[in-house]
Amino acid sequence: MAQKLSRRAVLQGTGGLAIALPWLEIMGTARTAHAKEGCAKRFVTVYTPGGNVTDDGQGENRWRPTGTEDDFTLSSILAPLDPVVDKLLVMDGLAMRSAIGEQHQSGIIAWLCGTPQGGDGYAQGPSVDQAIASLISKGFPRKSLQMAVRWGTGKSHGLLHPINTVNFEDNENFDPIPPRLDPQAMFDSLFGALDPDSGQDFEARLARKKSILDFVDRRFESLAPGMGTADRQKLEQHLEKIRELETSIGDLPVPTDICQIPERIDTSDYDPQTGLNSTDNGSIVDATTDEAIPKVGRFMTDMLVMSLACEITPVASLQWTDTEAKHTFPWLGLDQHHHYYQHDGGFRPQECEQIATWYSQQHAYLLQSMDAVEMEPGITLLDESVVFFGTELAHPSTHAKTNMPFMLAGGGGGIRGGRFLRNEGIADDSHNNLLVAILNLFGGDRQVFGSPEHCTGPYVGLT
Amino acid sequence: MVRREFVNKRRERVAVRTRVTACLALGLAGGCYEGSQVSATGDSSGGAAGTDPGEDESGDESGGPEIPTCLEELGDGTTLRRLTRFEYNNTVRDLLGTETFPADGFPSEELANGFGNDANAQSVSSLLAEQYNVAAEALALEATSTPEAFARIAPCSSGLDTADTDATDACARSFIETFGALTYRRPLEDDEVEALAGFEQGLRADADFTSSAAGVVEVLLQSPDFLYRVEHGFTDAQGRRRPTSYEMASRLSYFLWGTMPDDALREAAAADALITGPQVLEHAERMLAAPQARAVVRFFFDNALPISGLQYLERDPDRYPSYDAQVGASMREEVHTFLAHEIFEGAGTWDAALTAPYTFVNETLADFYGIEGVSGDAFVRVEHDPTRRRGLLTQAGMLAGTIHSNETNPVTRGAFITRALMCTEIPIPTGDVAEEVTPPDPDSGATARDRFSKHSEDTACAGCHAFMDPLGLTFENFNAVGLWRDDENGVAIDASGALPGFGEVAGPLELIEGIAASDATHACFVTHWSNFAYGRTADDADACTQQRLIDQFEASGHDVQQLLIGLTQTDDFLYMAPAEGQ
Repeated sequence: MAQKLSRRAVLQGTGGLAIALPWLEIMGTARTAHAKEGCAKRFVTVYTPGGNVTDDGQGENRWRPTGTEDDFTLSSILAPLDPVVDKLLVMDGLAMRSAIGEQHQSGIIAWLCGTPQGGDGYAQGPSVDQAIASLISKGFPRKSLQMAVRWGTGKSHGLLHPINTVNFEDNENFDPIPPRLDPQAMFDSLFGALDPDSGQDFEARLARKKSILDFVDRRFESLAPGMGTADRQKLEQHLEKIRELETSIGDLPVPTDICQIPERIDTSDYDPQTGLNSTDNGSIVDATTDEAIPKVGRFMTDMLVMSLACEITPVASLQWTDTEAKHTFPWLGLDQHHHYYQHDGGFRPQECEQIATWYSQQHAYLLQSMDAVEMEPGITLLDESVVFFGTELAHPSTHAKTNMPFMLAGGGGGIRGGRFLRNEGIADDSHNNLLVAILNLFGGDRQVFGSPEHCTGPYVGLT
Repeated sequence: MVRREFVNKRRERVAVRTRVTACLALGLAGGCYEGSQVSATGDSSGGAAGTDPGEDESGDESGGPEIPTCLEELGDGTTLRRLTRFEYNNTVRDLLGTETFPADGFPSEELANGFGNDANAQSVSSLLAEQYNVAAEALALEATSTPEAFARIAPCSSGLDTADTDATDACARSFIETFGALTYRRPLEDDEVEALAGFEQGLRADADFTSSAAGVVEVLLQSPDFLYRVEHGFTDAQGRRRPTSYEMASRLSYFLWGTMPDDALREAAAADALITGPQVLEHAERMLAAPQARAVVRFFFDNALPISGLQYLERDPDRYPSYDAQVGASMREEVHTFLAHEIFEGAGTWDAALTAPYTFVNETLADFYGIEGVSGDAFVRVEHDPTRRRGLLTQAGMLAGTIHSNETNPVTRGAFITRALMCTEIPIPTGDVAEEVTPPDPDSGATARDRFSKHSEDTACAGCHAFMDPLGLTFENFNAVGLWRDDENGVAIDASGALPGFGEVAGPLELIEGIAASDATHACFVTHWSNFAYGRTADDADACTQQRLIDQFEASGHDVQQLLIGLTQTDDFLYMAPAEGQ
């Protein structure tokens, strides 16, 4: 069973059921070319909480590299990224102008969406990864993938909430997207609980699953046309997800030189739902689950990388906890939660630096793993991709959202790594412009993303 | 550069709450509060149609409260309501007898109206679609795992000779008809039965009857007819669109019991006897009196009040040695026990709940409060110290549940009263104000009044905080675990103040009287219950129905059971929006 994975067209309805156009299409000016020559092919977002040590209390920015654009030295916080520095673009000096409100949550909402929070606290537009997925995900089993490690802490009590949501659908309602939390369930879903080597039995079980979903699909299709517009749209939205499920169970990845199904590790000590049992101030500590964070983070990263390499999806998002960040770091010897070191216990730059440095190590692991997959001779997965590292604010104790510690990595769309962009004193420092420029790496010539009043033209300098 | 309007249907709906304009521009107390849009003395600006007794069936025959028509109001947004996690769990329990709670693993609903059932704010993520699939598979397996289990959903399967194809075909068909009707909450059409029968036979060709029947269960549990409350309705003799009897059965059962219809409702539906107001009323009264209604009332208050997380509430054990997680869990039960008693056995009014001179405690709480003579786990009624506590708002769980640290916070306590209890909307700081906001240093004052003084001194803050902080400060005699204290850090607590909308109060008891006497409190209570019942976030378009319900609530003396019954007698409940194009 060594055939190369084939892409399948997304199933289209047989009863004239139209899937509502994504928001971005309604905006106009988009070219929907998929994998067009020169465009980036894959997009990854990585969220870490609480900014970085952009001011250590003595006015020093411990995150920022020193030097010039092409000749710079990574800080000790960023030093773990040295092996991939040639494919890294350190993006300093931008401000999240569309994050209105001093709290963390306005930042996590604005980071990928470029909009202020709406009346319900969520974004007022799609997240940029979903807009990109609308451009490039046709033909992939899954439109996109969202996952999170040790998520739902503190005030969110394990539930979807504006303080922990980064991804928003590219549809009329910009619905918030819950991340996958359970590494075992995610492994089963992505790489198949069904063992492809069990021969006839596998085929039979797969056929059964498919015929069940097919029947459900046709049921949705026959019901929808007789309804009013709003109701029909609701059913269509659900049906879209069922169809994605149908395609994904049929297209289980098959190992090839490029696609190596990750080894399944034991995460029985990790409770993905432990956030349900959290207190607002993080006083309930789940030490066992916290201990397992590095292992689970690594496992999820492996699955993320292979989802891209096995062409399950071209767009993926990883969240390291949420803006509450109320879990401990036993492997670093830190027995308080991150928010405590951010400001609950008074700003502690040393501990924050320790945490930030550890996150850099995880980022390095991700990038090195992507760089180790050769998609074509001489072209790695990282070369074809754009990775966007971000957070909800720059300075944890003041909640300032200027001089954001952003980073990009990869080579997709011609993005040029090995540079440090200080962006000091630039007139148009709105990060919305960066979101526009990122989107344009995937094909398109947009001027606006998110709230228009914070867009003054695409950021120039990525390529 | 092209500028586009943000069009977002969901967020165009502005809650029908007292609207408070952004205070930053004016920085004056007066600029922040616009006053009530909907009040019990009623400007009924909703444009209600006249009350024609001849046409209006809902009031006459029953002798119950007359509610004039608000039919023009119907028809905004989607009416397709997806089962919430609460409803899904209850439904599969009643349908299959399962004791698993599969929906506990589903992603949470968007909060929207506070109950997660706002039909306009429900979307299905890839993750949820997958989990519906996984849950359906597990439930189907459980339901067919043993002959006994299988016989429960398909009685003809017991003693069936599966080698006899004809007999098995017949059993499959009968199973599809009966179990399908239960799952879809209505009888299946012939073509629906045929489709399912064909599907089942196809599965059975490669496997056995147990497996093919399980397959039927799996498709039924993922069908839109199960996951959504589909309403096609019919047009009555007066040309108005209304739910069919089967659809009304679901409206009643999901509102009052949070689950699928029971046998009595199904029988009434089969007889097409769930159409008129009086027919609906009879079942509503029966169901409200049944124990299943308690679960819904509990769910409602778990979400409307800050108590669902009390069992996880933690405090510094050095400062609050008498508090532990068991106390927290008991605090939550105190609130539920008290409210259930008030509503179902006691005076039954929201006023009584807010001002009762007693509460319910078990031994854990009695020890905590310092009340003598209570032992064991059962909750018993005890009288309050009338100089200190009165009603729901002085129960420890309510006082502790709004506090997120070891220090009291008048803003969160005050905000709960103004926003959740009285439906006054206060915006979060934005723009220039937002840039200047820094949270107060927790050690910057001897009492909360000192610590939060910036809110009243700084005009940029006072505009909005004048409506929250003073209310919260009135409860400062209750510490972060809801116990009484006379001073904080050695400084005597002054709980008196001039409260906007209430005048001078000497302390919390007067404020509570004022809250209970306020029209806004009762209008807000009605709004929350109607949001929950109708799966919406009420806005200006619902003014007619809202006003009628508020007037009725007022006339009944704020009787909660009558409100719940009344919610089944409105045009919203008895009718549907006209079909598109009508």
